[in-house]
Amino acid sequence: MTALISDITVSPRTGKLRTIWNCLKRDKLALAAVIFLLLLVIATLAGPPLIGDLATKLGLRQRNLAPFSFQHDWIYFLGADTLGRPIIARLVVGAQNTLGIAFAAVLCSMLTGGILGLIAGYSERWYSQIIQRLADVVMSFPSLLLALIVLYTLGPSITNLVIVLAFTRMPIYLRTTRAEVLELRERMFVSAAISMGASPLRIVVRHIAPLVLPTLLTIAALDFATVILAESSLSFLGLGIQPPDFTWGAMVANGRGYLANAWWISFWPGLVILLTTLSLNLLSSWARTFADPQQRWRLQSLRKTPR
Amino acid sequence: MGKTSRITIFATALMASTTWAVYAQDASKAIKIVLPEQPANLEPCGTIITNVGQILSQNVTEALTVIDAKTGLPQPKLATEWTRVDDTTWRFKIRPGVKFQNGKDLTAEAVAFSIKRMTGGTMTCNNMAKFGDRKIEATPVDALTLDIKSDRPEPIMPTLLSVVMVVSPDTPVDKPVNDPVGTGPFKLASFDTQSVALERFDGYWGAKPVIEKANYVWRSESSIRAAMVETGEADLTPSIAIQDATNSETDFAYLNSETTAIRIDMSKPPLNDLRIRKALNLAIDWEGLTQLFGDDVKRASQMAVPGINGHDETLKPWESDPAQAAALVAEAKAAGVPVDSEITLIGRNGIYPNGGEAMEAMVAMWREAGLNVKLTMLDVADWIRYLQKPYPEERGATLLQMQHDNNKGDAAFTIPIFYRSTGQYATVSDPALDKEIDTALATSGEDRAKDFKMIFAKARNDVVADIPMYHMIGYTRVGKRLDWHPDITTNSEIPLANIQLKN
Amino acid sequence: MLSYIGRRASHSIISVLGLLALVFFLTRLTGDPSSLFLPLDSTLEARQAFARLHGFDQPIHWQFLNYLRDLVSLDFGQSVRQNRSAMEIALEAFPQTLKLAFVAMALAIALAIVAGSIAATRPGGFFDRIVSLVSLTGASAPDFWIAIVGILVFAVSFDLLPTSGTGSLAHWIMPVFVLALRPFGLLVQVVRGTMLSALSAPYIKTARAKGLRRKEIIFGHALRNSLLPVITVAGDLTAGLVNGAVIVETVFGWPGIGKLMIDAIILRDFAVVQSTILVTATAIFVLNICIDLLYAVLDPRIRY
Repeated sequence: MTALISDITVSPRTGKLRTIWNCLKRDKLALAAVIFLLLLVIATLAGPPLIGDLATKLGLRQRNLAPFSFQHDWIYFLGADTLGRPIIARLVVGAQNTLGIAFAAVLCSMLTGGILGLIAGYSERWYSQIIQRLADVVMSFPSLLLALIVLYTLGPSITNLVIVLAFTRMPIYLRTTRAEVLELRERMFVSAAISMGASPLRIVVRHIAPLVLPTLLTIAALDFATVILAESSLSFLGLGIQPPDFTWGAMVANGRGYLANAWWISFWPGLVILLTTLSLNLLSSWARTFADPQQRWRLQSLRKTPR
Repeated sequence: MGKTSRITIFATALMASTTWAVYAQDASKAIKIVLPEQPANLEPCGTIITNVGQILSQNVTEALTVIDAKTGLPQPKLATEWTRVDDTTWRFKIRPGVKFQNGKDLTAEAVAFSIKRMTGGTMTCNNMAKFGDRKIEATPVDALTLDIKSDRPEPIMPTLLSVVMVVSPDTPVDKPVNDPVGTGPFKLASFDTQSVALERFDGYWGAKPVIEKANYVWRSESSIRAAMVETGEADLTPSIAIQDATNSETDFAYLNSETTAIRIDMSKPPLNDLRIRKALNLAIDWEGLTQLFGDDVKRASQMAVPGINGHDETLKPWESDPAQAAALVAEAKAAGVPVDSEITLIGRNGIYPNGGEAMEAMVAMWREAGLNVKLTMLDVADWIRYLQKPYPEERGATLLQMQHDNNKGDAAFTIPIFYRSTGQYATVSDPALDKEIDTALATSGEDRAKDFKMIFAKARNDVVADIPMYHMIGYTRVGKRLDWHPDITTNSEIPLANIQLKN
Repeated sequence: MLSYIGRRASHSIISVLGLLALVFFLTRLTGDPSSLFLPLDSTLEARQAFARLHGFDQPIHWQFLNYLRDLVSLDFGQSVRQNRSAMEIALEAFPQTLKLAFVAMALAIALAIVAGSIAATRPGGFFDRIVSLVSLTGASAPDFWIAIVGILVFAVSFDLLPTSGTGSLAHWIMPVFVLALRPFGLLVQVVRGTMLSALSAPYIKTARAKGLRRKEIIFGHALRNSLLPVITVAGDLTAGLVNGAVIVETVFGWPGIGKLMIDAIILRDFAVVQSTILVTATAIFVLNICIDLLYAVLDPRIRY
């Protein structure tokens, strides 16, 4: 941790951060996305202790309480759900599971996909072929159905949910990594390292992996959004997280029967899902522009873009 | 053909197919019914399954008897009268002049064939479940007289026979069919992945129905089904969720013969202690819980609905008394009962509307009372393992969310399953109780009801093997042009012949 | 070329067989499904008889060998629930999904090309912002939620469209729209990105210097070169489209293979699960090979 901080205070890094910040300022949508995501993370970390057990406390006499009423506590401002629990409290507590599952799934798929991709890209042995064929199978089969079959077999627990979501997203990282490795290993610095007698492991870990990482992170941001949506689809089909645990996706799915008479039950969680995934999408599209040397000027130039 | 003319043809075709304002079939005598689920098949031997029965029962196929919705007593249908010849034999007179939809005559021989097809064991017959382990045999006496013998005294044979759908003797005996031929007022016109169509059968023996054609489709979302009837796309949909039943003109509540409950596994501590089982009943805030199911539901004190022979109207449901519940738990704890050990409440996804929410609420209430209850929601396949014997070995102390349907008029379809030690759902094992149940099952007349009531009272007060929740209410949305009201049988049949058109 | 197709096809067949084996064992791990097919109050004897009748009482490896033997003779098994051939059921449902997916994908690609190209001509401009925001919003909301809200708004409140089902052209509008949303959102980004790089490429500058009109430059030159990535991404999205189809078919009562598969999985109708997977996976593999061939047609530099 200290190493990281001292790294940041060293001047070249500061320069880079400042460039990022300046570029971010130019794109108001991306800036808004970053602010929203920061607020979300803060709420997720700091919220639950403040809210306590309000998110699970029953209030059967204020079932489906309408939003924007000032007669009740502020926590009921967005209304109450089918068991009279305040929606604000549930959104905050639900964020932990939602983001936690998505984060764990994305991290797992990025790590396994990345490692398998490095192997498949650098080695030309038989297992490289097998890895690729496996990725083809997973990739070409609808992930939702695969997830359903596995969850039916193993039962829908949080761990299984993470495994399934990670498994179905994995081929994307694998393919991307492999493609990049194929290109990178022909480069001069790799040949140089080989001629200097570096072991394949060292070449892959020290020279290739760091160059692949930024691409993977961009995909991860997008994937984070996909995973949140996939989890909500599973909840809709009854195989997502099971009560008493809940996520935003499960909240939308449970409230769907009330859309005609108590829209707020599934509207608010739907809205935060939308805002979160939208923010991630915006940010990742900003990052693509930023990372592309041909396009970056659009974020730096002060002039209006020319026709 | 020039380019312009081709475009014109395309445009015309487009416009022809876009005249979408004509969904409603107002003037015609065809109706559209939207069901919650696709019928798996149309095998007449599976009519006790809701989505098969709602299409076939009383429409395509009929039985010898039919249960009266109000009294629970069997009424003549394809049989005109019946007598009990001796303890194990019943004699049925078959209605003369009845024709199957393929033109064949209904005879005692044909009825005997239908009974044999069901009981023969050459194919899987769902309706057999209502017979339990009874064995019956049918012997034609003459063309229109049939004797039915059972392996033990069977006082309610006419009631049991209401689930035996009579089918044409041409029906294969060794495999299920999707093109049933019966004696009902409607015959099957088509069955595909999107719909089932029935047409009026002109050779029907009874009164001619007003409806000429009925089309059945299916959608799983209750709100969408309700919307379809509201917009006139469909005319009738059974079982909509309470929150969708918002229009008093079209939405009818009816006691749907389902009773919801939590079954207590009496064999595992701490649930083997009577005080804990009572505390489980007392700890629930019943008034609050009722909010989930609407004001029309009726609190249950026993597992069979009113109108069933053996239902005890005087039996009181459990009151909510959290203080006494806490006291009972404390008392049990003092007596050395491991009240802190974990109890698992096993719920089933989608078992009835708001079922999941109810489980969440009940768990919160029990925890308040000092019991360590944890909720696990399972899908139907896993839940069944806990419902039916043999129960999983490693199950621990479990509570099970369940729903029991008895619309067959007699408590014999309920009591032995739950409270006899051999019952498929039973966790109680008491030889004295077994004996009482056996006596009641062999009794007929007034005493039968009295015996059943005694058993229900015992189950409620002394055994406490379950937490009876509600006699449930179904809501059916009926389109404005139909004159029809649902009743207790609607979950198993929707007789088209009873549907009238307004104006 | 032919040998390439042969190699791809043999890879695909091995993959499909592997998938079938995987699914076979996964679904069977849940145990004997007999009690699901019988009424809840049926007796233990009835359940055991049912298991014997359908072979659920045999050891898994034995069931698998039987399955393989039947597969060789092109017998895909009977649906326990529907009393008929599982493959027949799957093949009946498949065209419904194919039609829906094809129309939705075609719509998504067409709209994405138009909107993405226009957005790329003035990056950062008003239209660009609107396109990005609308497409990303569409792709960011849970699809079942959009579908149900769509029905409540367009069918119930305004009475413009039928709620669900099939039949007239109007029945297509909402399912196609909901299904197209996500691919559209992603494809717009791809089109916009590739168009941006294409427009700053030297040959476009040449074309501009030659005095060609903007429209000609965009649709004549830049677009042709950005078609390849669009096809790649669209191909990758096809498997994902089936995910969407499952949801759309469930909500709108569309009698397609996605809904069929879900029901079969939930109700443990094993033969139908296997058949639907066989059909879907085969279709996707064939499509992937077609996309590769299309590549060769569009890009003369590629030779197999």
